[in-house]
Amino acid sequence: MKTATVFIKRTHIISLFISLIFSPSVWAERTEYVVELKDHLFFPAVIKIPPNEKVKLIIYNRDTTPEEFDSFDLNREKVIFPNKRAVIFIGPLPEGKYHFFGEFNPNSAKGTIIVTPMPKRKKAIKVIVKNSVGGA
Amino acid sequence: MKKIFYVLVLLLHSLYSVVVFADGVVVDKVYHPHVLPNEKEVEWRLLSHQTDKSNDLAQRFAYGQSVLDNVMVEFYIVGERDIDGNFGLSAYEIETRWMLTEQGQYWADWGMLFEFEKEHNKDSWEVTSGLLFEKEIGRTSLSINALLIYEWGNDIQNELEMEFRAQYRYRWRPQFQPAIELYSGEDYVGIGPAFMGIQRFDRQKQLKWELGFITGLNGESKDHILRAAIEFEF
Repeated sequence: MKTATVFIKRTHIISLFISLIFSPSVWAERTEYVVELKDHLFFPAVIKIPPNEKVKLIIYNRDTTPEEFDSFDLNREKVIFPNKRAVIFIGPLPEGKYHFFGEFNPNSAKGTIIVTPMPKRKKAIKVIVKNSVGGA
Repeated sequence: MKKIFYVLVLLLHSLYSVVVFADGVVVDKVYHPHVLPNEKEVEWRLLSHQTDKSNDLAQRFAYGQSVLDNVMVEFYIVGERDIDGNFGLSAYEIETRWMLTEQGQYWADWGMLFEFEKEHNKDSWEVTSGLLFEKEIGRTSLSINALLIYEWGNDIQNELEMEFRAQYRYRWRPQFQPAIELYSGEDYVGIGPAFMGIQRFDRQKQLKWELGFITGLNGESKDHILRAAIEFEF
């Protein structure tokens, strides 16, 4: 009987875990922002995003050396290999400025995320903000 | 927010209610589920456990490195002060941390922990597996470790245990982040403040430090634990 109770409790934990991972909000479309890293500089270096919304930052590393995206403000660290792209999920964040930098080239690779109210979109669909950079 | 709270209460209750009581100390380190590629580290941990009857001391020295983009392996040698007051080698351990989800991608970040430990000169073995959880709430982070441990051998009683560790951290400044930690399992419940920080140097080089003062809640006598950890990443 005790074994059965323990089994049921463990099953509850597992189902809770699965439901959290696969909850509908997980699959919600994210607004994407494309950033390019070239000559150890981020382009654009300033990115505006809406408040209280989770967004996707796609960073293309055009350099021949790896870089590590680092931000204590955003609580994110991510290695971007040469000629590869990295996806970083940020937010939801309140209004404000959030600084980030490249750990391998902190003096040149610097940028800021500005969280500020943006004009409302008509439809809640995936919007790719193009910054005139190509794919990897 | 209310939903998150209820989910956490349910999770904690479910975990705590299946704890199998045994002996030992559960206070150690609250793990985060994140792993970075190309990361190497050396680590030192200290644990001083003071009661009315004894003052136990344990130290761990470790080397670790990420072997995949989302998997880190760490090797430990453990030293403890024995009943005669002599400090010596007590165990070896290998540990693997596996980052299951990208940071910030889902409602929370998830990872797994696997450990395999053998006591020095004893037929005493231990295998641990567990779930690592971290939820970012504004400038704070809630980290939870739920670990299932199996011990066996001729020099130890074969048993299955569960341990639970939680840390609620305020990311105030990189160098100084206060937290509160909770540990439960093996007939022990302890809570106390902890402080941690990170100092960055050139490139991937950084120094992380942690200090915690945990007080046992379920004993009538004195039960204080001081834990410290210094980790150098390069």
